Amino acid sequence: MNTLDPTTFAPLERAAQDPVAYATEWKERTGGLVIGSFPMNFPSELVHATGALPVIVQESRTTITEGRSLLPEFYCSYTRSLADQAATGELEVFDAFVLVDHCVQLLGAADVIQRVIPDKPLHFTQFISSMDDAWSRGAVEEKVQAMRAEVEESTGVTVTDESLTASIRVFNENRRLLREFFDLRRTGRLHIPASALQVLVKSSMVMDITEHTALLQQLLDRLDTLSSAPEHLVRLHLSGHFCAPPRPELLNLLEECDVVIVNDDLYHGSRYISTDVPKDGDPFAALASWYLDRNVNVPCATRVQLDVDWQSYLVDTLADSGAEGVVTLQAKFCEPLMLYYPELRRTLGERDIPELLIETEHEGLAAESIRTTIETFVERIRRQRSKQLLPA
Amino acid sequence: MSLDTNQSTKQSLDLSPTRLVTPEAPDKSNRLSSTRMGGKMVADYWDNIFTARERGQSVVWYNGSALNPIFQAAGLAWCHGEAFSARLAAMHMEEPAQAAGAEYGYNAELCSYSRTHLGCAVLTQKGTLEKQDGIVGMADQEELAAKLPSPDFFVNAYAGCSTGQQWDAMTYRVFGKELPMMNVSLPMIFGTKPDAGYLRGKEWETTPLYVEKQLHKLIEFIEDQTKRPFDWDALSENMSYIKRASELRIEAMQLCAAAPTPATYWDWVASIAPINFLPANQMLVDYFQAVKDEIEQRIREKVSAVQNERYRVYFDGIMNWNKLGYLTRKFAEHDVAVVAGRYTHDSFWQEPDLIDVDRPLLGMAQHYLICPINHGMKIMEELLLKRCDEYGIDGIAFHSTRTCRAMTNPQQMLARTAERERGIKSFSFEGDVADAAFYKDETLESGLVAMLESIDQQRAKTAQLV
Repeated sequence: MNTLDPTTFAPLERAAQDPVAYATEWKERTGGLVIGSFPMNFPSELVHATGALPVIVQESRTTITEGRSLLPEFYCSYTRSLADQAATGELEVFDAFVLVDHCVQLLGAADVIQRVIPDKPLHFTQFISSMDDAWSRGAVEEKVQAMRAEVEESTGVTVTDESLTASIRVFNENRRLLREFFDLRRTGRLHIPASALQVLVKSSMVMDITEHTALLQQLLDRLDTLSSAPEHLVRLHLSGHFCAPPRPELLNLLEECDVVIVNDDLYHGSRYISTDVPKDGDPFAALASWYLDRNVNVPCATRVQLDVDWQSYLVDTLADSGAEGVVTLQAKFCEPLMLYYPELRRTLGERDIPELLIETEHEGLAAESIRTTIETFVERIRRQRSKQLLPA
Repeated sequence: MSLDTNQSTKQSLDLSPTRLVTPEAPDKSNRLSSTRMGGKMVADYWDNIFTARERGQSVVWYNGSALNPIFQAAGLAWCHGEAFSARLAAMHMEEPAQAAGAEYGYNAELCSYSRTHLGCAVLTQKGTLEKQDGIVGMADQEELAAKLPSPDFFVNAYAGCSTGQQWDAMTYRVFGKELPMMNVSLPMIFGTKPDAGYLRGKEWETTPLYVEKQLHKLIEFIEDQTKRPFDWDALSENMSYIKRASELRIEAMQLCAAAPTPATYWDWVASIAPINFLPANQMLVDYFQAVKDEIEQRIREKVSAVQNERYRVYFDGIMNWNKLGYLTRKFAEHDVAVVAGRYTHDSFWQEPDLIDVDRPLLGMAQHYLICPINHGMKIMEELLLKRCDEYGIDGIAFHSTRTCRAMTNPQQMLARTAERERGIKSFSFEGDVADAAFYKDETLESGLVAMLESIDQQRAKTAQLV
């Protein structure tokens, strides 16, 4: 297994584990504003272009207490955590919030945030989620401009073509470097815990992007890559888990079962870094292109697009990574994933691709039960492997 | 024209007590008899849908907003997904469809409207493949209540709930992505700006225009599907019936500000189907005229909808269709008149003045946007307090609907607002829109009793002060 340079990795890990502490320290250091956004489609470049720190608000590991009386238990862990963070003062560092995603549970959490901390403006500009209508592009472009006005109002800074173009450039560079890690993993030349890779992506969502990029570059410079993938491990693709990252313990548990994660389409993974903002032309229109393009590159169950399919993408990417099976991670009560999952299962089943669904919750992990399930799943793949090796 | 309210109905909603009703408790509810006609109209409507293919009629499946006046003008047969799921649940016939959905892979925590309807889609698709006539195999029909004719195309126009749009995207895939589909995107009226409020502010002024443009595109899409020009005169005529029916419905609702109330929320629930998806015609107007007439008659004759009305309650949340009859009796048993609710009073063409028959699409767009799950918190609070004032509300029952997050979203905040602004007590009970498994009678019973005791104490304190 490769080792990431621990000195360089440490600040990334700290930021990923405690984004609020990072934002607080950044604010004290710079005197700048911190603007919180919510997953999964807000273009952070827009906030960055004002000089404020864009932070994608993360699920807290704190046990949900106050939040229980604000949103019912049948909401996803991320939204319940947001309600709890609002009620327990964890969101104090933020000067304003921005949201472009129409998710019914997320909007419930947004309502709570508005009521519990009314002094923090929360701007919602709904990006159209039907992606392939004739008017979709125009509608998104219009909403990008509307969000621009909201961001400018919150920060008191005008976003110019120049400042936005510069921000797009630094975010594209950051995504490019992150993709290098993912590409190395897919080809087997990088073998690090999936939880470490998650740290790299999650920290990019909360840190000053220039600082983050410098650390990424340093990690890459100090990285010794392998010559080939470890053969004895079962190669898996992780799918699903929108908005919040799966617990690192779960990722570790998977890897303890003789598994190597070779690819994923997680939000705190490939999905987030898959697509760059076009660098030429009107930078505001480019943000709209990024939004539309990303759903083509890595289709998402939260968007509606008739001419792309998540399951087709999945089958294609499995061929590319050589993954032998798919583990779908579903945050409990995540409706988009609940709706789409049967299509994934059906398509993978038709192609005899092993697939396992694991449901996750905020409150914990039934580790031994999940371990048994994964071990059985791995054994199934091994048997399938053996059958394929037998002479016809 | 008057309605024959004595005419027997077939396949009407099951309003009989369930086994959970205390058998010895007398039924203290007194529901309107005029709504029975609605049961027959709805049953006839569905019978007509089930035979649409035999008549050579094209069929559209749609979810969300009441696009039916457009479909009617285009000569289509229209199947509303939620309406069919609600009907199955109200008739206690939802299980086969839900089982088919579960077998296909839909999780029980998913919106039960959607998984019931997707289960119907699975069954209908199976029937299509088996018989090529678009109707589920005859042997299965009675048991499964899955007689929906397969669609020729889909239209989605869902306000407020993100699941609504995704649901049709899945139905489209269940049918193998072979049928045309059109999405009308309805932005939420978030209402956070200083000028924002119900039916006012810049956001309100501009958003309907965006939706109106899409409705024009929808009509072009329908013309493509039907291969004939759209009948704009028919749409205007349809909307004139809707407007009149809506006026009568609202006037009748307002009469229920009287105490004791002559009709209850449950009567308005029984009248949802007519206003929401039945054909726009004189019968629809006559139905609501009859409802209004009966309410006026009750006021004249001092007939109340609940014997010994002592408490006036507002119902927040979507209907629990499995328990319609049961809940009607249950609340009445405690001398509670449920007089109004978000689902009935802030939905379904509730602002007839917005309908302009000369520019029908704008008024339609406006109504689609004032769906009661499509407002931000500020507007929700405004509407709740308005209804509480209009109807003299003593308490609020929040139906915490397990799989309908859209309706459940603001409830905890609304409860606090009602208490803070008006001193109105409330309680929550768990249930679901179309899955009986989530209903918890104990939480309803204990919550309701506690709230009523609290109201009694409040009244006693007030009396002492006086």
